[in-house]
Amino acid sequence: MASLELINIQKTYGATAVLDDVSLRMEPREFVAFLGPSGSGKSTLLRIIAGLETLDSGEVRLEGRPIQQLAPGDRGVAMVFQHYALYPHMTVWENMAFGLRNARMPKDEIASRIAEAARVLEIEEHLDKKPGQMSGGQRQRVAIGRAIVKQPKLFLLDEPLSNLDAALRMRTRLELAQLRHRVDAAVIMVTHDQAEAMTLADRIVVIHDHKIQQAGPPMEIYSRPANSFVARFVGSPAMTLAPVQLLPAESPFASVRLGDGSEVETRVPRSGLPAEGALELGLRPESVRVAPAGAASTVARVELVERLGDRTFVYARLSDGLSITAEDEGNSRVRMGETVGLRIDGTDAHLFAPDGAGYHAAPAA
Amino acid sequence: MSIGGRRAQLEGLAFVAPFLLLYAVILIYPLVAGVVISFHRADLFGARTFVGLENYGRLIGDPVFHQALINTFKLTILIVPPLTAITLVLALALNKRSRSAAFFRGLFFSSSVLSVTIVTLIWRFILTPDAGLVAEVLEAVGREPIPFLSDPDLTIPALAVTTVWWSLGLPMMLFLAGLQQIPEEIYEAAALDRAGRWTTFWRVTLPSLRRTMLLVIMLQTAAQLQLFGQAQLLTAGGPSGASRPVVLLIYEMSFARWELGYATAAAEVLFMLVLTVTLIQYMTASRRWEG
Amino acid sequence: MSLGAWIGVGIGAAIMAAPLLWTLLLSLKANAELMRDSGAAFSAPYTLENYRSILQGSSLVQWLLNSVIVSGGTTLGVLTLCSLAGYAFARLEFPFRRTLFAFVLLGLAIPEQAVILPQHQLFAQLGLHNSYPGLILPGLVGPFGVFFMTQYFKAIPKELDEAAMLDGASRFTLFWKVLLPLTLPAQATLGVFTFLASWNSYWWPLISATRSEMFTLTVGLASAQMNYAQTSGLGFLMAQAVFASLPILIVYIIFQKQIVRAMAGASVR
Ligand SMILES: Nc1ncnc2c1ncn2[C@@H]1O[C@H](COP(=O)(O)OP(=O)(O)O)[C@@H](O)[C@H]1O
Ligand SMILES: [Mg+2]
Repeated sequence: MASLELINIQKTYGATAVLDDVSLRMEPREFVAFLGPSGSGKSTLLRIIAGLETLDSGEVRLEGRPIQQLAPGDRGVAMVFQHYALYPHMTVWENMAFGLRNARMPKDEIASRIAEAARVLEIEEHLDKKPGQMSGGQRQRVAIGRAIVKQPKLFLLDEPLSNLDAALRMRTRLELAQLRHRVDAAVIMVTHDQAEAMTLADRIVVIHDHKIQQAGPPMEIYSRPANSFVARFVGSPAMTLAPVQLLPAESPFASVRLGDGSEVETRVPRSGLPAEGALELGLRPESVRVAPAGAASTVARVELVERLGDRTFVYARLSDGLSITAEDEGNSRVRMGETVGLRIDGTDAHLFAPDGAGYHAAPAA
Repeated sequence: MSIGGRRAQLEGLAFVAPFLLLYAVILIYPLVAGVVISFHRADLFGARTFVGLENYGRLIGDPVFHQALINTFKLTILIVPPLTAITLVLALALNKRSRSAAFFRGLFFSSSVLSVTIVTLIWRFILTPDAGLVAEVLEAVGREPIPFLSDPDLTIPALAVTTVWWSLGLPMMLFLAGLQQIPEEIYEAAALDRAGRWTTFWRVTLPSLRRTMLLVIMLQTAAQLQLFGQAQLLTAGGPSGASRPVVLLIYEMSFARWELGYATAAAEVLFMLVLTVTLIQYMTASRRWEG
Repeated sequence: MSLGAWIGVGIGAAIMAAPLLWTLLLSLKANAELMRDSGAAFSAPYTLENYRSILQGSSLVQWLLNSVIVSGGTTLGVLTLCSLAGYAFARLEFPFRRTLFAFVLLGLAIPEQAVILPQHQLFAQLGLHNSYPGLILPGLVGPFGVFFMTQYFKAIPKELDEAAMLDGASRFTLFWKVLLPLTLPAQATLGVFTFLASWNSYWWPLISATRSEMFTLTVGLASAQMNYAQTSGLGFLMAQAVFASLPILIVYIIFQKQIVRAMAGASVR
């Protein structure tokens, strides 16, 4: 049986559409990340699942049961809020007990669940503190603890890491990854941080423009983006998109010509491509390498050099004015303002139709 | 929250209903009833005849009402400017973190928590010529006692002094709050520009306090136009009306002369006057700031 | 602070404090001695005789009790009504919510003298004069408290409500166990402010309570000073003033912060 099912969810605020015909099906114990730019409706979708927001039409099912008529507390979901939303006047223990007491759970059961959660989260010595006396990271754990003790069928996390500093964020990310194997529930995490989504999720659901743009495992989202939005949104630095002309050729794979005249042989089957309209070529930085004059397929003027130590990203402009992102060694000598040779490797290149639909190299057999 | 439906809607109304019912019955109904009564010849016991604008017409020609209006204006003018100036100076002097500053702030605020009856009781025996503190001091330096509470030229100043003493606390606190909100950087910038203490005060501090100043002046003007208890208790409006403000006249019209309709008409006029004066102050100030 | 400023403040403080000290000194003197010369206040002997007379059977004790009941009742009433209304205006959806809130704010512009005479008539018709409800009810309808509590509830993050809803809290549990405890600082501020205003309110109790046994302390002291000629003396009168200010000065000293904040808040609104 599916864990969560969203069926044709429709949501508008007044005249503005927020979610348009959104459907999704989650496997038991699956960890799904909602990824999308800010304002794309991720939180709204999460809150509809939680029952904090009404939906205009559609159905929400949890383990087969329609839940959209149920009050938030009766749905069997638990949520970790972006700003934690701990009750400031209650101790950590009381914070975790509050929901259980409302559910009229026996006292000893409450106590044992809290003790267990506190042990797992290593917050045992803080149980008598108020949230105000704790650090951000500790509060985060309490918020997670408050969700765990309810033993929900589904965890909902709204940007759970966005309030933590960089170091703590990495650690908590790791802990979340471990945690999900301890709980017997599905997890949905909202984030606008693709690295978070890529590391934690079994499946990423990219949301944009009121719709689910693509839902799939992280590597599929990265290597076979369904459309040019997903292609540009996932991956850092962003994929270069270049308008190209399809060249006539015998080969079963598409060859294209960029605006500056250079040509790229892709591994995208020619057969599926649309007959009409301008195509765009999608190139990840790793497909564009800085190369010595002999090995280069084109030249570009360097506008910015971003040195990361182990590798270097070079932001450059082709002779026709196209911005392109290339990769080079960590000890790259490239400097701003220079003209460098670039070698474009079409093996992993993507093509996008005028409607944005993506075409990719045939999966290796 | 968009969750909940019809039941939640009714719940919301149930939460506000107790207050709203009392509010409508005890505040809004009387407000409207007051306007209605002012068009009637009415006494305290419920008898009423509709007389249209007669009460208002009478007010226009009533020398007693004129005198009360003039007294009210005099009191307001004698109280508001000195009160504003004194409390501003106090706030400037006491805008410190030290313990002694806190003590003095507490002292200057303390009179504000006293009721008007206690204040007048205290000041009666400061000002009265037969046993008052001022009389004692004058006597000690060989002067005659001064009849503050019975000389028609002195009653209004005496009421003003009493009122200023009573009212220092709140404006001082408002000015202190205003001073706290001036960012330290402005002073540092002024210091870098080699502004002296006076320049800094006139060019930095005072302009930053203009909103607070307007608030203080508006609040105090509205309050003093409605001055009542001090006059009733200290001078009873006397001698022969020389210190009777409008609200005291309204009180006497209704509870000594039982002319409720007439008193209500006077109250409506005063209400309009307070609104008008406050609005004029507000608009003059905003126009100046924009100009 | 410069020396000049200190001297200025010192002189101001002396002028400020002199009336209070004078009152205290007079209250500690025997009436007969003051009758001869009020200047005697500056020298011994001092006595607590006047305070003893107050405690033995003057009306002051009854008035004090009345004031405590009226101010206490008003404060409780205001806190209850304003918490309920503030919560609803801040958090609940119901028909005409905005209109009703604007209607309440309108009341901030209504001065006492514009409504007090018709109020007096209304209470006469309801037979409420010379009763505790008659003294308490008009103190409950000030819009400031509703405005104040609404702002305070609004400042509490909505995420807390949502967390409580996910925790299965009923609307009542949410209000009573989650939100209301968080408004305690506001309750203290509004409570102290209301208590003070009610304790010192003069005009309404003056016209509503006409029987001496229903006087509040404030009105009672007014009657005492107007009958000054017939009273038992200056020292006794001033002891009454001190006695009557003591409760409020104690409240002031304990709740200084809340009082100042509330009075400033009430005027800035
Ligand atoms: N209560 C609301 N009323 C009107 N519009 C809203 C409301 N809540 C969210 N929106 C709009 O819905 C869109 C989606 O918001 P949200 O789900 O919070 O986005 P995300 O979480 O992806 O950043 C935004 O454009 C936002 O402006
Ligand atoms: Mg969001």
